[in-house]
Amino acid sequence: MVEAFAVASGKGGTGKTTSTLALGMALAEEYDVTVIDADTGMANLLFHAGLDDADVTLHDLLVEDRDASVEDAVYERFGMSVVPCGTSLAAFEAADPTRLRDVVAELARDTDVLLLDSPAALGSKSAVLPIVLADRIVVVLQPTVPSLSDGLKVQEYAHSYGTDTAGVVFNRVRPDEDVDRIAEQASRYFGGQTLASVPESDAVRAARRAGEPLLAHAPDDAAADAFREAAARLDVRDGDGRDVAERFKRAVVPDRV
Amino acid sequence: MRIPRGALLRSRVVDDPSEVLETVLDERLTGYVVFEPQDALLLGEATRGVVTFEDGIPVLAYDTERDCGGRDGLDGFAVTGPNRVTVHAVDADALAEAHETVEFRVPPGEPARTLAGDERLAERTTAEAPESRRAEGRDQSSVEAFLADAEAIEAIRSEAREEARARAEEWGLDDVLTDQSDSAFGE
Ligand SMILES: Nc1ncnc2c1ncn2[C@@H]1O[C@H](COP(=O)(O)OP(=O)(O)OP(=O)(O)O)[C@@H](O)[C@H]1O
Ligand SMILES: [Mg+2]
Repeated sequence: MVEAFAVASGKGGTGKTTSTLALGMALAEEYDVTVIDADTGMANLLFHAGLDDADVTLHDLLVEDRDASVEDAVYERFGMSVVPCGTSLAAFEAADPTRLRDVVAELARDTDVLLLDSPAALGSKSAVLPIVLADRIVVVLQPTVPSLSDGLKVQEYAHSYGTDTAGVVFNRVRPDEDVDRIAEQASRYFGGQTLASVPESDAVRAARRAGEPLLAHAPDDAAADAFREAAARLDVRDGDGRDVAERFKRAVVPDRV
Repeated sequence: MRIPRGALLRSRVVDDPSEVLETVLDERLTGYVVFEPQDALLLGEATRGVVTFEDGIPVLAYDTERDCGGRDGLDGFAVTGPNRVTVHAVDADALAEAHETVEFRVPPGEPARTLAGDERLAERTTAEAPESRRAEGRDQSSVEAFLADAEAIEAIRSEAREEARARAEEWGLDDVLTDQSDSAFGE
């Protein structure tokens, strides 16, 4: 079985990368999880996962005539398979985003859950590919107007590409905010379910500084609990890995960017 | 978005947008500033944005070229290098209606942060903003009011839908689009 989720938000800094790794670690208790940094223009998942010095990254898989094989860019970390992306602008420019489809197809053969950390943008083909390729999106929102508004946009893009909404994570929720009411109102517009309300927490920032996912760095923190709850609510669907791989391959994505 | 024209106060080229943001904060401008990044102009790209102010505190941001507002709008004209800035004063009542466009609102410190990378000015602006605006973007009642406005939300969604379809064609992704025949693009 395999299901691919794009962790998306529209707006920057809502906690997509944090959520991708946290959900990944929580889901890894039960599933074979592969996490991919599909934010190829502004990659930073590597810093969150202690992979700053990764030799081969997703960028090396997206160039023409690549030397690296897909498994060279897969790192076993924190119970997950992690595919980081490099941060060099030159490498991003040399990369052909449409090759992401083949990489994802290959990774899909051998895992239960694929999580694609997605860019905070919708303005280019490389930015929308993760939500095009995914089966469903997990929308990471902050309880603010700009974040909700951008979350609605990313969801419309996803739906236009036949990608459903698995659910919504409210992140960076402050103690004085009653997110239940906002979540209830928001659920009229967002598909899927409210997966969790993750509090604003110093442990999240400390984890980032330490280069560890939150669930490794501070497993007992309230934010970690909330992410585990979100993962438990996520009903991962069965899919035949081969079908998914085939579907990715068939998705018509011509070369021009 | 419609902003009443107002009276031109001055127009000049500045190297750092924080200069003008700080000046209008000090002089408590009610009106708007037009930003035209000059480097983008040289490259043949028209880039232009507007920030409106109430008593010196930023209220709305709007990218006139890409036709989008709020933080997204700000991102569109946050270009380093010299900017032609044009400062206009507008009557507060005349601006009030435009200021109801919630999706174009930005937190008080956001223009200083995004356009000038000036965290200190962002904090100063936030500190000088009225109480009701200090927690903006985080203000529960404004979030609830936003979500309660089903019509405005449908407008955001249908606009995004159209944009997604138009861009999919541009990017050669139209084959992956689903057939939603409710849109103006219905077959
Ligand atoms: N619940 C939280 N509490 C406190 N800080 C948080 C929380 N979630 C995320 N952060 C912090 O917010 C910042 C942005 O988080 P993250 O990098 O996960 O967001 P992102 O959506 O992936 O950003 P980008 O759009 O830049 O890719 C980081 O410094 C992170 O440590
Ligand atoms: Mg990120």
